[in-house]
Amino acid sequence: MRAFFGVLLALAIGALFWWGMQTKDERSELPSALAGRPAPTFDLELLPSSREVWGERLNLSDYLGKKPIILNFWASWCYPACYEEAPILEATWRRWKDRVLFVGVNTQDELDAAEKFIEQFGISFPNVYDPRGKVGIDYGMYGVPETFAISVEGRVLERFAGTISAEKLESMIREVLP
Amino acid sequence: MRRWLWILVFALGLAGAQTVGNEPPPDLPPKVFEIAKKLRCPVCRGESAAESNAGVTEEMRRQIAEMLAEGKTEDEIIQYFVDRYTEWILYEPPKRGLGLVVWLAPVIGLGLFGFGLYSYLRATSRRAAELEGVSDEELARAEAELGRDDEGGPPS
Repeated sequence: MRAFFGVLLALAIGALFWWGMQTKDERSELPSALAGRPAPTFDLELLPSSREVWGERLNLSDYLGKKPIILNFWASWCYPACYEEAPILEATWRRWKDRVLFVGVNTQDELDAAEKFIEQFGISFPNVYDPRGKVGIDYGMYGVPETFAISVEGRVLERFAGTISAEKLESMIREVLP
Repeated sequence: MRRWLWILVFALGLAGAQTVGNEPPPDLPPKVFEIAKKLRCPVCRGESAAESNAGVTEEMRRQIAEMLAEGKTEDEIIQYFVDRYTEWILYEPPKRGLGLVVWLAPVIGLGLFGFGLYSYLRATSRRAAELEGVSDEELARAEAELGRDDEGGPPS
């Protein structure tokens, strides 16, 4: 009887370990409460470098329903992750800008440092300035960088946390293309 | 004696510093921290939104303060964060579903430990009782045999 309980206990502990080992890295797999839900909108000032082409402010609801959107949260202090993905974002944006809109949300940053970052990587898609990081909370963001794919219907389809690769970004775009 | 006095003063100083560190800064009402304590820091995980100094938790506290000023209730504020982060954002897991396992695990563990301890003690006392039942004559004979084994046994 005692041996039976011992085996049962060992099996239970083994199962617990197995379950723990199966759990993937939660950084990029964290559940998004927004999956399938309408993308929260915002109306924020654009960074000075974006104003010439995109105007003073960007209201996301003006663009929802027109094109799929890739929304990327970043900050100049987010090193090296944001620095690694910035050239990937810019190159991908240049390839897809006729069909997809990229919007950067500079979060909890200093304006000068953010501008320097934009200049360093020659970023040409619009970037809004969110010094408080309010939009990040609306999107249930855990930390920069984070990227969201929004369908042409204005729904959040996917969320990726961490440095995004060119392959992942391309697959997110293909998912949101109508 | 003087040394002990210094140690006491130092310990009290540390305790005081700790108390001061846990108090909310004057620009936010204590209720903000009361609610923030129930929410998890999204970046640091192990800390609540009240303890953490991460930028995101600073903004969470600011939003809680704004919502309180708007007259929102504690439940409404917590729901606001759950809507954005799922129940993962709750610092204490909910007492249902998978969260219930977290709450029950220590109780089950304690129960198993108690059962193991009880089984061990019962077995020990049973062995002691069995020994009590052995007569002096039998004990003497056993000891004599053991002694003979020691003498006659092969050298170790």
